[in-house]
Amino acid sequence: MISAEEKSLAKACLEIAGAAGAQKARVSLSKSSMNLVSTLNAEVDRVTSCQDSSISIAIFADGRYGSYSTNKLGLEDLKSFIIKAVEMTKLLAPDECRNLPDPSRLVKDAVDGNELGLYDPAIVEISPQQRIAFALDNAVYGRQDGCRLISEEGEYSDSDYHNYVVDSNGLEAIHRETSFEYGTEVTVEDDKGNKFSGGWWEASPLLKDFKPGLVGPAAVKEAVAQIGPKPCRSGKYTMVIDSEVSTKVVNPILGALSAYNVQQKNSFLSEALGKTVFPEGLTMMDLPRSAGETGSKYFDSEGVATSDHCIIEKGKVLEYFVNTYMSAKTGLSPTCEDAIRPKILPWAPDGVKLTTREEIMDFCGDGILVTDFEGGNCNTATGDFSYAIQGYRFKKGRIVCPVREMLVTGNIISLWQGFIAAGDDARVCRAKLIPTLAFRGVDFSG
Amino acid sequence: MKMNNDASHFGVGKDLLDSLVATALSTGGNWCDLFFEDTTYTSLLLRDGQVSSGGSHIDYGCGIRVLCGEKTGYAYAESTDRDSLFRAARAASAIADGVGNCFSSVGRCATPPSSGSLPLQPGAAMTTETHTPHLAAIDWRETSAAGFVPKLQQLEALIRKKDSRVHKVIASLAWQVSEIAIYNSLGELVQDTRPLGSVNVTVIFLQGEQTEMTSASRSFAMGAEMIGDSLLEELADLSVKGIDERFAARRPKGGKMPVVMGAGASGILLHEAMGHAFEADFNRKGQSIFSGKIGKKVARKGINIIDDGTIEHNRGFCRYDDEGVPGQKTYMVQDGILTSYLHDRISAGFFGVAPTGNGRRESFRYNPIPRMRCTYMESGSDGSVQDLISSVSKGIYVDQFSNGQVKIGEGDFTFYVKSGWLIEKGRLTMPVKDINIVGNGPRALADIVAVAGDLKIDDGTWTCGKEQSVPVSCGIPSVLVKELTVGGE
Repeated sequence: MISAEEKSLAKACLEIAGAAGAQKARVSLSKSSMNLVSTLNAEVDRVTSCQDSSISIAIFADGRYGSYSTNKLGLEDLKSFIIKAVEMTKLLAPDECRNLPDPSRLVKDAVDGNELGLYDPAIVEISPQQRIAFALDNAVYGRQDGCRLISEEGEYSDSDYHNYVVDSNGLEAIHRETSFEYGTEVTVEDDKGNKFSGGWWEASPLLKDFKPGLVGPAAVKEAVAQIGPKPCRSGKYTMVIDSEVSTKVVNPILGALSAYNVQQKNSFLSEALGKTVFPEGLTMMDLPRSAGETGSKYFDSEGVATSDHCIIEKGKVLEYFVNTYMSAKTGLSPTCEDAIRPKILPWAPDGVKLTTREEIMDFCGDGILVTDFEGGNCNTATGDFSYAIQGYRFKKGRIVCPVREMLVTGNIISLWQGFIAAGDDARVCRAKLIPTLAFRGVDFSG
Repeated sequence: MKMNNDASHFGVGKDLLDSLVATALSTGGNWCDLFFEDTTYTSLLLRDGQVSSGGSHIDYGCGIRVLCGEKTGYAYAESTDRDSLFRAARAASAIADGVGNCFSSVGRCATPPSSGSLPLQPGAAMTTETHTPHLAAIDWRETSAAGFVPKLQQLEALIRKKDSRVHKVIASLAWQVSEIAIYNSLGELVQDTRPLGSVNVTVIFLQGEQTEMTSASRSFAMGAEMIGDSLLEELADLSVKGIDERFAARRPKGGKMPVVMGAGASGILLHEAMGHAFEADFNRKGQSIFSGKIGKKVARKGINIIDDGTIEHNRGFCRYDDEGVPGQKTYMVQDGILTSYLHDRISAGFFGVAPTGNGRRESFRYNPIPRMRCTYMESGSDGSVQDLISSVSKGIYVDQFSNGQVKIGEGDFTFYVKSGWLIEKGRLTMPVKDINIVGNGPRALADIVAVAGDLKIDDGTWTCGKEQSVPVSCGIPSVLVKELTVGGE
C-alpha cells in the first residue's frame, strides 16, 4: 500500500515544483512488485524478483508544459530533479491549452484504492515454493500424449501495483491492484519435422479466480490444430474472428475516436461524432467501474473520474476521447482520455442469440476462422488495413483445415458494413471485452 | 571521464562488488554479473508549429544475475545502497538455493566449476580498462534543450517549403546517455558511456479530400553534433519523398509473385524473417526453424548475412554487449552456409562456442538475452536494382516496410508495405500501398535469386521488441525474391 511517508513525498513534490516557479503540477507516485518463475520443458528456467517505484510529475509553468519522471526518490534527488524540470519547462513554447482538469471532473471516490476490489491480500502470503509449484504443476511437457511436443516455455507471475496521484487543484486518488498470470508457449513437430507453435494465457486480479490449469492444454491444442495446413484460394470469404484476437478490428476504431487524431486530421472518423457510421448491430460500452474485473479504474491518468457509458450505440458514434488539452484545442467537451474498459455487446440478426465461436461459425456456414493476426497495419487516416492471419477454413460450421500465409485486406468502415454477429464470449482476463465477431465479404489473399 | 577500476559512478567500490558477487553465488550458482545503469532521457516535441512539450526521465539501478548452468536468477535494485544491492543479490541467488529442492534436476550446480573451466567464458576477454565516451563529441548532458527548439522549427520550415500540401508536422528529438558498469564473477569490469540521439518526423498531407501520412527518422549512437543542417535537410527530403506516388497509389491484385526489395530499409526482412530465427536462445530450446542447421546450406552461394555491433555511431553499435562481451561482427550466413547463431553467454555455453556479443537488455530491469545489433546482407554481383526490376515480368518492388513480424517455429513472416510499385514487363507501372507481404523465412532466403551491388544501411529509429526493446538497425542491397504472397484486392 501507499504509506503516509510516500503520500507526504508526493505532496512535497508539488510544493517543490511550486517553489521552483510552477503554477500547477500533478504528481503520480507508482510502486509495484513482481515475482516470476519461468519454466523450460517442465524445469525451472528463471526466477525473477522485481520491485519498482517512481514519481512522474507534470509541470505547468508560465503557460508552458513538461512531463518528467525519475526513480531516484530521495528528497534531495527529487528537489534537484524538479527544479531542473521547471527550468526546462520554461524553455518550451507557451501553450495556453495546457491545463489541469477542472476540479469538478476529478475523481472523488478512489480514497484508499480498495473500492474496486482489485487488490487481493493473498499475494503477500504466496511463498517462493508456491510460485515454483504453480509454474511446475501446470507445465504439460512430458505429460501430453498424441503429439510430439518439442518445447514448452511457461511463465507464472504475480504482481501488485499501487498508484497515488495528487495535483495542485486538489486531486488525491489511489488505485491498487494485484494480478496473477500464467502463460505457455509450446512448439510441436509433425511427422516431417515441421514445427508449429501455440500459446495461451490466463490472468486474474484475484487468486481465487485464477485458472492456470487451462493454459497448457489450450496451448498444445492450438499448436496441434495447425498441423497440416492447406492452401486456400484468394477470394471473398465470411470472416469469423476469435475473441482472443478480435480487438484487432476494434482498436483502429478506438484510435480514430481519439480527439488527438481527429485534431491532427489523422482519423478516418473525423466527421463521425453524432452520426451513424456503423451498422445497427454495433454497440460499444465503456464499463470501467465494474468491481473485481480486470481493467477497471475509477480515474484516468489526469485523475478524471471514469463512468460507465455508451461509446457507440446502434452504430451511432456518441463520443470522442477528449482529454483536457484536446478539449481546449478543439472546443469539444472533455471526457476521459481513452476507453478504459470497452465492451462490444452481443448481437445477431432477428434477435438470434449467439454466444460462442462455434455458434457463430454454425450460423455463418462457410468461411475462414481467424485465430491470430501476424503483423500488418491499419492506416489511421483512411481506415485501410492489411493483416496477415492464421486460422482455419470452415464449412457448414465445422473446421476443415488450417490455413497459413494468408492476408486479409480492406477498410475498417467497409468491414463493419458487412458485420454479421458478435458473440458473448469476450475474455474476462482482458481490459477490452471484445467477443467473437463475424463479417461477410472480406478479401483474403493466399 | 574519470578512469577507475570500480563502479564509482554508482558509489560502489571493488570490495562491495566482490561481496555482492560472493553473496549472489553463496547458494551454488556458477556465474554472476552485476549490471549498473544510470540513464537520463530527454525529449522535445514539435506539434502545431510549436515546441510546446518536452520532458526528461531518469532510470537508475543495478540488475544482478546468477546463472546455474542455463538457469537464471534475476533481481534488481533501484538504489545502489548496500542494503538494496544485497537484497537483490540474495533474491537472484534463489535460482540455485534449492528452494523446496526443486532444482535438484539441474545437477550441474552441485559443485560450482572452478574458474578457468567456466563454460560461459567469453570469446574475447573482458578488460578492466575503462573507456572514454568518444562516441559523442558533444555530450548531450552538457547541452541545453533550448538550443534544439529552433532546430525542430527549422525542420518543419524545410518540410513545408518542399510541398504545399503539408498540413501537419509532428517532429520529435530525443536523446539519452547511459552510464553503464558491468562486473562479473571472474572479477572483470567494463564501463561504458552510451549516447543515443533520434529525430522522428511525421507529416500529414492534404490533397483535396484525401489525407496521406509519411514518416521518417534518423538515429545514431553519438552526441549532439548529429543535429546539423545536413541531417535536417535529409529528414525533410525523406518526409516528402514519394508523396505524389502515395496519393496515386492503389492496392494491387493480390497473389503469389516475385518481389524486388529495395536497398536499405528492406533489411527489416533479414531482421524479422531470418535474424530472429538465428538467435541462439530459440535454437537452444529447439524452437527455431533453423535449429540444428549449422553448416547447412540455407541460401544460394555468394550470399553473406551479418550481424554487426562494430559500426561506430550506428544505432546497433555495441562497444560491449550487456554481458560485457566485446562488440563483434558476426557472420551468420557465409557463402550461403549457416555458420553461426547469435549468442549470449548462456547459449554460447550450451553450444560450446564463444559468445558473439549479442547478450543485450533493455535496461537493468531485464536479464540479457540474444538480440541483434545491425543486421545486413553484403552486396552481391547481380548488377543494379534496375537490372533486378527489368528481369521481372509481373511483381512488386518495395522500398519501405514496417510492422514486420515472424513466427520463430514455423518461420512465417509478415511485412506491411509502406511504399512500393507494381512491376509489369520489367517496368514500374503503378504505385502501391496498404498491403502486406507474407512468406516463410527459410524459403524466402533460399528463393533469393539475385543480389545487387548496392548495400545500404538504413539509419532509421529501428527498435526491436522481443520481450524487451533494444535499438537496432538493418540494411540490405536490392534483392529479388522468386515468390512471396502479396495481399491485395
